[in-house]
Amino acid sequence: MALAAKLARREMRSGLGGFRLFLACLALGVGAIAAILSFSRAIEEGLRADARELLGGDVAISLLYREATPEQIAFLRAQGPLVEWVDSRSMARPAHPGGTAALVQLKAVDPGYPLYGRVELRDGRSLPDALARRDGVWGAAVEEAALKRMNIALGELVKVGDATLQVRAVIEREPDSGLSAFASLGPRLMMPLAALDESGLVQPGSLLTWQYRLKLPPGRSDREVAAAIKMRFPEAGWRVRDLGEAGGGIRFWLDRLTEFISLIGLSALLVGGVGVGNAVSSFLAGRMRTIAIMKCLGSPQRLIFATYFIQLGTLALLGVAVGVALGAALPFVAQSLIAGLLPVKARIALYFRPLATAAAFGLLVSMLFALVPLIRARGIPAASLMRGTPVERRRLGWRDIALVAGMALLLAGFTIETAESQRIAVYFVLGALGAFIAFPLLARGVMVAAARAGKPRLASLRLALANLHRPGSPTPIVMLSLGLGLTVLVATALIEGNLREQITQRIPKDAPAFFFVDIQSTQMPEFEQTIGAIPGAGALDKVPSLRGRIVKLGGKPVSEVAIPPGARWAVDSDRGITYATTVPEGAHVVAGTWWAADYRGPQLVSFDETLARDFGLAIGDTVTVNVLGRDIEARIASLRHIDWQTLAINFVMVFSPGILDRAPHTFLATVRARPEAEDAIFKAVTEKFPNVTVVSVRDAVRTASEVLDNIGLATELIGLISILAGILVLAGAMLATQRRRIHEAVVMKVLGATRTRIAGIFAWEFLALGLATALAALGVGTLAAYFVVRHLMSLQWTFLPMVAVAVAVGAMALTLAFGLAGTIAALRQRPLALLRNE
Amino acid sequence: MTAPPIVRFTDVHLDMASDAGMVNILRGITLEIAAGEIAAVVGPSGAGKSSLMMVAGGLERATSGRVEMVGRDLGPLDDDARARLRCENVGIVFQGFHLIPTMTALENVALPLEFAGRPDAFDAAQGALERVGLGPRLSHYPAQLSGGEQQRVAIARAFVGRPRLLLADEPTGNLDGSTGRKVMDLLFEMARADAATLILITHDMTLAGRCDRIVRVADGLVVGDRRPAAGSVLAAQ
Repeated sequence: MALAAKLARREMRSGLGGFRLFLACLALGVGAIAAILSFSRAIEEGLRADARELLGGDVAISLLYREATPEQIAFLRAQGPLVEWVDSRSMARPAHPGGTAALVQLKAVDPGYPLYGRVELRDGRSLPDALARRDGVWGAAVEEAALKRMNIALGELVKVGDATLQVRAVIEREPDSGLSAFASLGPRLMMPLAALDESGLVQPGSLLTWQYRLKLPPGRSDREVAAAIKMRFPEAGWRVRDLGEAGGGIRFWLDRLTEFISLIGLSALLVGGVGVGNAVSSFLAGRMRTIAIMKCLGSPQRLIFATYFIQLGTLALLGVAVGVALGAALPFVAQSLIAGLLPVKARIALYFRPLATAAAFGLLVSMLFALVPLIRARGIPAASLMRGTPVERRRLGWRDIALVAGMALLLAGFTIETAESQRIAVYFVLGALGAFIAFPLLARGVMVAAARAGKPRLASLRLALANLHRPGSPTPIVMLSLGLGLTVLVATALIEGNLREQITQRIPKDAPAFFFVDIQSTQMPEFEQTIGAIPGAGALDKVPSLRGRIVKLGGKPVSEVAIPPGARWAVDSDRGITYATTVPEGAHVVAGTWWAADYRGPQLVSFDETLARDFGLAIGDTVTVNVLGRDIEARIASLRHIDWQTLAINFVMVFSPGILDRAPHTFLATVRARPEAEDAIFKAVTEKFPNVTVVSVRDAVRTASEVLDNIGLATELIGLISILAGILVLAGAMLATQRRRIHEAVVMKVLGATRTRIAGIFAWEFLALGLATALAALGVGTLAAYFVVRHLMSLQWTFLPMVAVAVAVGAMALTLAFGLAGTIAALRQRPLALLRNE
Repeated sequence: MTAPPIVRFTDVHLDMASDAGMVNILRGITLEIAAGEIAAVVGPSGAGKSSLMMVAGGLERATSGRVEMVGRDLGPLDDDARARLRCENVGIVFQGFHLIPTMTALENVALPLEFAGRPDAFDAAQGALERVGLGPRLSHYPAQLSGGEQQRVAIARAFVGRPRLLLADEPTGNLDGSTGRKVMDLLFEMARADAATLILITHDMTLAGRCDRIVRVADGLVVGDRRPAAGSVLAAQ
């Protein structure tokens, strides 16, 4: 080993010249992964450090549709200081006539709010001061966007329901805003809880959420208190969270996003790995003479392997170190750019684990890709010194294959082990493996096709085709290196495009323009009349809305039924329910039968088929729902498949009429409208029915698109890194064949070829190669995207031809540009120097 | 009555830049080679023999002086025009063979005909390879052929277009004595059979003695020009 190290040191005297691409490929991939993981960790640390602020207390209790009972409140107060607020989507409108109403995220807080952290207001005043009642008028604090949407200034009066508020401050930061900070339908409006009573918004069945936060004395465990609350009121139907679940929504998104982006980063590293392998191959090819001489002088294979392993290992360490340094530095640089987009304050610092993980990935990938050329080099026969380059490359022995497979398994294992979702990581590993098998096979296919393509009349084309399948042709390496990068780009572009399509394009032409929430039964006739009077407004589609909580499934209390985590939301708290005589729009019965329009028998219910499957329910089973304190047992008469994409109002549970229509309830309604009628509808409803929340579908779609834009930007950036890695590898591959190309160009010149002719031959070759690579990448990338969209995201699939065209054109342009850049250099070469007798 | 010259040099100079400054490689060469002539260019290493051949074939541009090939002045022709002229009139054989390693013997030989747009490129190439005795080796790559075989492929490639001028630069330099002799026999025989002009660069005086004419070059100048007795060529054969 000492001798190997000594030999390695001597060999490395010649410098790093041939290893720039090796280092660049490695540094780029490792840097991307290190940066992604570091950033994600910084956000996670932020979540952890600010957990109390994000949760709003040590224990959080949420109740949909209703307030906690006095008994429950008393129990909570016994645990420690308690604050209460109400969340809702509501309309706020300027008090003066002619103002524009706006949908706001209402938060009606009691004076103790917030328990942790503080609400930062622009003028520096305190929240209680801003919200206090002055001259008989309550105060409100809003996000800046609310001022803009209502076109009002600070100090002006707004109405929320029937309550009048003076807007006194602009909210700069809200400690527990969570995800709503970047994915909400409207800006925040904070008002005193006391003013909510005046608003008249609190009606049975209104879509409000009551929030309670507890501050625990030092030493009390938040987890134990949360458990105690659940135990004391098992039927309360509330959601209780401790500090471990703070920022739950953010964490869920962050985990998914990190996973997705880091897998793209890993693909970039794998593409870079191809470059590493190429660089190692061409380096060792240049050392063939040295190796043969060493063999002649009696060096064993092991010494040769060790000598070059040490050299390459040292270089890999260097590349990884550069990548880790880049990845560690990037979050510091990007911090200020991304801070505004994040719902939490990221704690940027040097974190050991993410950097170590990235470094380990880098080392594993470089070792894996360097292994095959190293094994081949070890076997170079001494006699090659006399015979020149062996024509056939030696086949690997089974031990060597086992070694390479072991290395690949190690990398796969590490990928799966370090992933958030092991299931997705397994798919990724399988996909990557598939790509590494598919591309060489496709390249082989292209070469066979080129060989069998016959002889086109155009001589340049014929020669170009021949170049594609000759021994030593760059076809396999270009297809693998550029193809992998392109595949990642195609897949991410198609996945993102499909998500966007889902949100923006797949909204049906006849989708409603508005949703109206919380229309009181008493208001309904006037409401219908108002809408009917507006030209361009379609018929009102109204559905009664009640709230109820599932307490028994198939006769068994919910707590005794095994329910998968993905379906728990439906039993954790109150849900909206309705009754109907006919099958609701946008759904169809897939099992059982719908009741007759005049049915008045025992209570029946139609259940969502997916949820029924999760609950293990079938036709004929019973479901017991608590509505306004009364248990109603209903038999499942039918299962419905609901197409949520029609945007028609739909409920998981639709009951037969009879009991529910006599209970107090509100209405949900939708209206279709011509675009020019939308303003009039919005204005008429917000002016006449202050308690009714109006959600514009157009606005909702826009908000969703904006969120997607931010996510899309992040994924595209990382996708571009994998293309960059692909380009580096491509450049390396082109460089490796450049000597040969120069010789060919010179010999062709000697034989009478003009420069145009030579450039033409190479251009055809690169175009064909680019096209073949693009088609292969499109195929593989589309397959991967289809799998992700259909099976991991369970969404509808649309093929996006523009992505395909862009990729094909891009790939051809890239190969052509790189190929011709080399060709021009080759054409400039003067023949004398090359052809002179040695 | 002598035939019109196929190559004519008039006071040709060739300077090239090197690390040590400008080097005067050809320093005023004036020379005519007649059509059908078999001429040897001899001289010590570094005399400028190969450069003379490159200039004659239009592969290098003379720094000054006039170079004519098949009656055309090469001076005003650009790279591509000279390439076309070469394609139609010149065949070249190198010491280092200069076959394209990734092409088969057949493809290597067909290449100049493909450049010339000949539809029968591959048939003609096959004929040329059969003529040099490599009919069974059509689909072999250069690395699969011996040195002598590689040079025969190069000769087939040089002759396949029936060129009027054949330039051969030390064609046996990389071959053993007996293989070299066989290759030269083939070269002479084919040149005479096709009535092509052959300019043979060599430092082998026995080989030069088999030519119609021996031009001696030293220090970038023609220092001797003689015609061995016709009998000596036959004797050498």
